[in-house]
Amino acid sequence: MPSAVELSGLTKRYGEIVAVDHISFEVKEGEIFGFLGPNGAGKTTTISMLTGLVTPTEGTAKIFGHDIRKEAKEAKRCVGIVWEESNVYPELSALENLNFAGEIYHVVKRQREAKALELLEKFGLSERKDGKVGGFSKGMKRRIAISMALINSPRLLFLDEPTAGLDVQSNIVIREAVKEENRKGTTVFLTTHNIEEANQMCHRIAIINHGKIIAIDRPENLRRTIKSAQSVQVSFEEDAETGEAELGKIPSVRRVIKEGHRFRLFTEDPPAALEGIWDYARSHGIRILEINTLGPTLEDVFINLTGTAQAGAGGRS
Amino acid sequence: MAQCTRKSALLEELEAAWAIAKKDIKIYYLKAPTLMFAILFPFAMFFAFAVGREMPVATLVPGLVSITVFFSASSIGPSALPLERRIKAYDRLVCAPISPYTVMVGKVLSGAIFGLVIGSIILAACLPVFGLQIISLPGLLLGLILASFCFSMLGIMLAMFPRENPGDVMLLLNFIRLPLIFISGIFIKIEMLPYWGQVASAFSPLTYANDLMRLALEGASAFDPLLSAALLISFSAAFLYIGRRIDLKFRE
Repeated sequence: MPSAVELSGLTKRYGEIVAVDHISFEVKEGEIFGFLGPNGAGKTTTISMLTGLVTPTEGTAKIFGHDIRKEAKEAKRCVGIVWEESNVYPELSALENLNFAGEIYHVVKRQREAKALELLEKFGLSERKDGKVGGFSKGMKRRIAISMALINSPRLLFLDEPTAGLDVQSNIVIREAVKEENRKGTTVFLTTHNIEEANQMCHRIAIINHGKIIAIDRPENLRRTIKSAQSVQVSFEEDAETGEAELGKIPSVRRVIKEGHRFRLFTEDPPAALEGIWDYARSHGIRILEINTLGPTLEDVFINLTGTAQAGAGGRS
Repeated sequence: MAQCTRKSALLEELEAAWAIAKKDIKIYYLKAPTLMFAILFPFAMFFAFAVGREMPVATLVPGLVSITVFFSASSIGPSALPLERRIKAYDRLVCAPISPYTVMVGKVLSGAIFGLVIGSIILAACLPVFGLQIISLPGLLLGLILASFCFSMLGIMLAMFPRENPGDVMLLLNFIRLPLIFISGIFIKIEMLPYWGQVASAFSPLTYANDLMRLALEGASAFDPLLSAALLISFSAAFLYIGRRIDLKFRE
């Protein structure tokens, strides 16, 4: 599969500070690629270099084979960008915002006008097309920003925290629209703090920390890399007097944490831990109400690799 | 999928520049900082320093028109660009498949049109009130058009400093604009300035814009009008180049 994005030794230094340190990877055409990392890890600097906002200090990056420095216009031509902030013009109407985006991306008038109406319809904003964007809600502004990014039917869509701080309905609309664009063939480069969002949407994920890529793989492969984050979650009948210390004595259990009325027992050997829990329950005459084995979540992988706790939940397997 | 339908590269750039100018015209012409710095400010300056002095009307009007064009054309960029930086809308322009010069030219166009329109309105109002006539139409057109572009470019050049508050850029701009109006023959004729003032006036684009206005309304000028025109074009080119260097410097 050809590369949509290809980075080779891409580096950005600000004086003595190395914000991005010789990163190399590729994003294949047609995939949704997640780019995760803690604050200050180098995500925004990387996207800023790829989109032409910041000049790299070293290394190269190509978008569909076009060098971002030597063939900047060609590289930018087939790209759409959604920034973390909805950078729409509040004084212009929804339609005027889309038309302006089309004009600076050289979309011919007839095509631009038809596409603008199509996008407003798709994002549920047709009835507000002539309304000034300044009066729109945050979710509506974000939908306008995404529509502006799609006006030139880009082959590659950069999304920087597309759903941050939005209501559930806007989140769903935006995620579905991105997936639909991807199904039509658009490559998506997604930066997000929402690990569950990345887990659900991305074909592959790269994790950046201190300016270096520390992991890059499919979400399920990343989860497999940390056996120690496997666990068994158990809840006992209400009047059972059980504590973390006692459960921690079960062979193969490495650590126990209490989550509400449940206990989570971390282990590298879940079957052995399960047996140990059953033995413990029988010997103490306690009834088990619920028991589940949990695989490592992407959040566990992230914390394990970056040492940073993130908001945004993990999944169960 | 990707639209790679291509017009000629130059046409694409011109259309994009015009799109940026149209957008700025819609958004920024009626903003409070624009109106204050572009219209009220030159009038306040003019009445403060010119009215009550023993100066012939034919000398005052070219000066009023010149500083109106000077203040109005140079105010759009410093009002618009910091606001666009604040809402990250400027990033959209930088990331678009257009030349960085196209972005600047689009911004210059909106400022220049503003200066041209405001300057023309003031001139049109002054002609019947003071019973003046246009003596040199080419001088007037050259003066109005070239001065509008040149002063707009000055504003854009300074707006290339990555500030998000229009006041920061206006402060810098006024630091340059205010001294220039005193050394460019607006309130004091250049030949009446001390030697250092006369030397300094040669480096002010306002000197040449005002000289062309004087040619248009008084029929007399200190410099060859073609030289004034050439110098205004040269100043514009220099401001464009320096503006781009400033932008590049802060992108490194």
